[in-house]
Parts: sequence; C-alpha cells; structure tokens
Amino acid sequence: MSNSNRTIEVRIERTIPASSGAVFDGWLDPKVPGNPWNMADKLLLNPIVDGFFYWTTERTPHYGRFTEVNRPSRIEHTWMSPNTSGLESNVTVTFQQKGEDTLMTLVHAGLPDTDGGRSHNGGWNYFLDKLLDHFESGTKNQH
Amino acid sequence: MDQLTNVLTAISHPTRRAIIEKLARGPARFLEIAEPFDVALNAVTKHLKLLERAGLIEREKQGREVHISLRPEPLRQVASWVHEYEQFWNERLDQFEDYFKHQQLKEKSLKKGKKNPKEIKT
Repeated sequence: MSNSNRTIEVRIERTIPASSGAVFDGWLDPKVPGNPWNMADKLLLNPIVDGFFYWTTERTPHYGRFTEVNRPSRIEHTWMSPNTSGLESNVTVTFQQKGEDTLMTLVHAGLPDTDGGRSHNGGWNYFLDKLLDHFESGTKNQH
Repeated sequence: MDQLTNVLTAISHPTRRAIIEKLARGPARFLEIAEPFDVALNAVTKHLKLLERAGLIEREKQGREVHISLRPEPLRQVASWVHEYEQFWNERLDQFEDYFKHQQLKEKSLKKGKKNPKEIKT
C-alpha cells in the first residue's frame, strides 16, 4: 500500500504561539502535553527515519514507523492501532512558521484512492457526511 | 480482509461512490445504474460485486427483474472511524496548543518581573 494517494483523512490545523523549531521539538517530546506520546502508559519512541514507536494507553497498543523527520517542518509516520483494523494509516504533521507563530497541520489518512486525479479534496468526508445525513434524516422521517 | 477494509475498498473508487449516491435516492435496476457511466457493463458488474462484498448493496428479485438497493449501515462504521480520530486529534492538539499558550504567558510574566525592579530604581 503506497502512502501517497490516501484520501480518507482527518485534517486538523492549529496556530501555536511559538517558533516552528520549538513546536516541532514539542511534538516529539513525551513530556509535552498534547502530543500522542505524552498520554502513553508505556512508550518506546525513536523519531528517526525508519525508527519505530510503540505506546499503550489503557491497554490499547499503537505502533508505527517514522518515514520522514525533517526539523523543523515535517514529521511523517505510519500508525496502527486496533482502531485502524489492520490498516497501516499515515500521520503527517507539518509546521509552517507564520510570523512569531507556527501553523501546525495534522493529517491522519487511511486509505489509497483509486481516483488518480483526486481533484476533490476531502471527498471522502464530504461523501460520508452527505450520505449519512441523508440516511439519518431518512430514519428520523420514518419515526 | 475484514468488513471495514471491504467497505473502505468499496467506497475508494469514484464510480462506486457515484453508484452509492444514485442508490441513496432509491433502488434501481442494473441497466439504470450502468446508464450514466461511460464504462463497459462488465466494469459496472465488478463495481457492484465489490459493493456487495462490503455489504453496501443487496439484490432483490421482483418477478423477472432484479432491483438493487443500498444498505447504508456499513458506512456508519467508516464514519465512526473518521469521527473517532477527529475527536482524538482535536483533543490532543487542544492540549498541545494550551501548553504553548501557557508557556508564552509564563515567559511574558517573567519578562515583566525582570522589568519591574529597574522601573523601581528609576
């Protein structure tokens, strides 16, 4: 499974009041609240390309392999947990310096799309939301 | 492959998503489904097989005709996958942002604290 053409995704942005270097370092420091490693009961973390991580929280294991570690702009790693049902999902975090702040964008993507062009960004979520809204309103109408 | 993987695979193709959208408006016969697509009927059959394997459609024979209808339940599984992660990362990033905001406030108050003694001297 290639990491490049994934479209089912969660995309979140935050503006963090610090330099991109500080935010990048904070994202990899298990002592900093908010990064995924900080919530681990047991943690193994080796944030270099082809380095692995393993962490558990409430007995839920998470595994992954770092595929890009480029200070201070980008971190990319795979992500597997019981929630990904055996799929190797992909997490990309980018850090863009904006004045004194850093625009941080996290994309958690899970599946390749066979539509090569992918002109419709966020098509999956739109599709799912639209359909489920349709059916939920349909169910409501039935009651 | 588990059910979630089957559903993800089934909805990963724009033609299959278009078929689902069409069936969301109501059951249809095979040729009605195939009509808008500029692909061979064979290809439509393959798309329908993948949708069927994922449990997203069912066929019902009515006389000599087969009606194909949508079963939306498996889509909820995918939506819940997406929404769970949306919630997880939002909570994480809220905490992360708060940490840096707090750090910034601490730095500012430290700077003020350093300035004050000078201000008293002058």
